[in-house]
Amino acid sequence: MSTQEAAYPTYVILGSGGHTAEMCKITKALLHRRDSDEYQPIRFIAANNDENSDRQLQAALGHSGAESIFRVPRSRSVGQSWLSSVFTILYALIWSCWLVWRDRPQLVLCNGPGTCVPYCYAAYMWRLLGRLPPKSRIVFVESFCRVETLSLSGRLLLPIVDMFVVHWPGLANRYENRPNLRYFGRLF
Amino acid sequence: MHLKTVYVTVGTTKFDALIKAVASEAALEALQSRECRKLILQHGNSEPVPADVSRRISQQYGIQLEQYTFRPNIEDIKASDLIIGHAGAGTCMDILTNGKAGLIVVNDELMDNHQQELATQLASEQYLYYCKPSQLAVQLATLDFASLRAYESASENMLKFVNALDELMANRWSHSANK
Repeated sequence: MSTQEAAYPTYVILGSGGHTAEMCKITKALLHRRDSDEYQPIRFIAANNDENSDRQLQAALGHSGAESIFRVPRSRSVGQSWLSSVFTILYALIWSCWLVWRDRPQLVLCNGPGTCVPYCYAAYMWRLLGRLPPKSRIVFVESFCRVETLSLSGRLLLPIVDMFVVHWPGLANRYENRPNLRYFGRLF
Repeated sequence: MHLKTVYVTVGTTKFDALIKAVASEAALEALQSRECRKLILQHGNSEPVPADVSRRISQQYGIQLEQYTFRPNIEDIKASDLIIGHAGAGTCMDILTNGKAGLIVVNDELMDNHQQELATQLASEQYLYYCKPSQLAVQLATLDFASLRAYESASENMLKFVNALDELMANRWSHSANK
């Protein structure tokens, strides 16, 4: 059982542009610790129309980072109509449920792109239903540019994640009654 | 502090008020008094400065104006002595990580622009300056850009986060039976 458990992956959810740049820095810090093997294997998840994440990941982590990117349908494109959004969001949701069910990630780590929301909810649901080990964790790092108010992803995920990280004192004070909210100072 | 090369960037936004403010007589006078020789204007979706005005700026103030819509801008960032930009998070980070003097101009016609939060916070910590389009000329004439703080990445905070994450995952790895 324990050898099987050791193979449970870490899901790192990438987004576009700034989100991916920030996530690359976080992943780099994780992999620089002494025994970073514990987070392995790391599986990067990116929307299928996001071509920059490959390049950014390669630049940040060197080696074969980009090879482990897994492509998933996007929840919603900027400017997409609400009616068609319903279907694409549903489609993305089914995908995320299937992937999380199959891979049983020990950790879902994300920082705010819309893509990450269904993965966190899927992990939360499968943990409740016993498909994920009870000790699996969901961690959300709020976007660096959020100083006073949470992002939409942040507001959707604050109630369910195990650790919710903010970069600025304004948000830390505002949500100080939330036990899962952590503030370490700015991370970048 | 001399501002020989000044780079103005609006990203993908339409921010005519900033372009107008930069090309105003008062702002150009302020730039001239700081020995500005070159003004690079990335105007994105905003209206560019008309060609005749551009010629006049060169003749009257000795400032060479270069304009473009979009292009990879790392060269422009590195070459500049001052970056004037909209309150985008990307522009703020470009200023900080390249160690440049920065003046963020807030688009006060945009309501509820959360990106301004970051610029305000960074300005309150003296990493860059922050003003409205109407204040640009005065700020260019009076601000002390040399007194801005250098930005350093916060690796000790990142370490605290990684440690907290390790702690959160510790139970997971120990394979202990109790929750």
